[in-house]
Amino acid sequence: MGDLPKGISVGHTDTEVHVRVVGRGTFQNGQPLRRYALEMMEHGVVQFIVDLGGCDGMDSTFLGVLAGIGLRLTQSNRAGQIHVANVGQRNLELLQTLGLDRLFGMDQPAGRNLHYDAPAGLAFQRLPDSDVTQLSKPLNKSDTADLMLEAHDNLIRADQRNLAKFKDITSFLREKVDKRAGDGHKEK
Amino acid sequence: MKDFRIEREARGNIQLIKLAGSLDMYSFPRLETQINTLFQQNQHAVLLDCRDLDYIGSAGLGALIGFAKQAREKGGDVKLLNVPERIFKIIELLGFTKVLQVHKDEPAALASFSAN
Repeated sequence: MGDLPKGISVGHTDTEVHVRVVGRGTFQNGQPLRRYALEMMEHGVVQFIVDLGGCDGMDSTFLGVLAGIGLRLTQSNRAGQIHVANVGQRNLELLQTLGLDRLFGMDQPAGRNLHYDAPAGLAFQRLPDSDVTQLSKPLNKSDTADLMLEAHDNLIRADQRNLAKFKDITSFLREKVDKRAGDGHKEK
Repeated sequence: MKDFRIEREARGNIQLIKLAGSLDMYSFPRLETQINTLFQQNQHAVLLDCRDLDYIGSAGLGALIGFAKQAREKGGDVKLLNVPERIFKIIELLGFTKVLQVHKDEPAALASFSAN
């Protein structure tokens, strides 16, 4: 994975979206992935495969974005699912801790995760601003708070045991988002 | 990615915890255990020295808000010291500077606990 570009690269066929995460997945690059995923779902694609072979780590916001994709896909009545593949031990423990291994297609009974190679010839494109070490512009406060709140709510929807873990951050962010809505403006 | 390291020293009644490396969801439980242990020992004045921290995740920051809240209920606080500029920008972006005190100078940070 050393020669792959850092960030989130995506490619798709008519039926599947392939996502490759290289480096860290964080609240800083969760938004481009979320937007891309929503766009692809609008086009009717309901199978997502996320290759974490080059992923050094994920924060809870990024995991919440993945959970949100998984929840939308499973609730779409089109037999959709998100599969995570090539998951290292550290990331596997994170997924298990948050109960996401049950939402994502993982070969848990066999005690191993899915091994996967992208289809030969599939063209990958890196999503803009998905390399957290080289963001071209500062993040927008309001968008970031919205994303983080939605992501942590997704983690709680995916597994109620996450409520205890994330009640402080969700309550802080909800207050912030509600205050902004009450003020009727967006912070830059 | 650097391994997470944690060291604790007492500064009078204040517990100084030096953090180094990457504080993410994987490493955060170690800090959580340390802080919970201190709270159980009725030590609610905690200063986290972040000088050698190279990453902090959103869940870790969120949990620190909860710890600060718990500590304040007992007359203490959880405060941050020597936060690297890159991490400070994230804390500020998320609005956490409104609920977490951040200091650049250890004596001033220690003195601020007695002002609580």
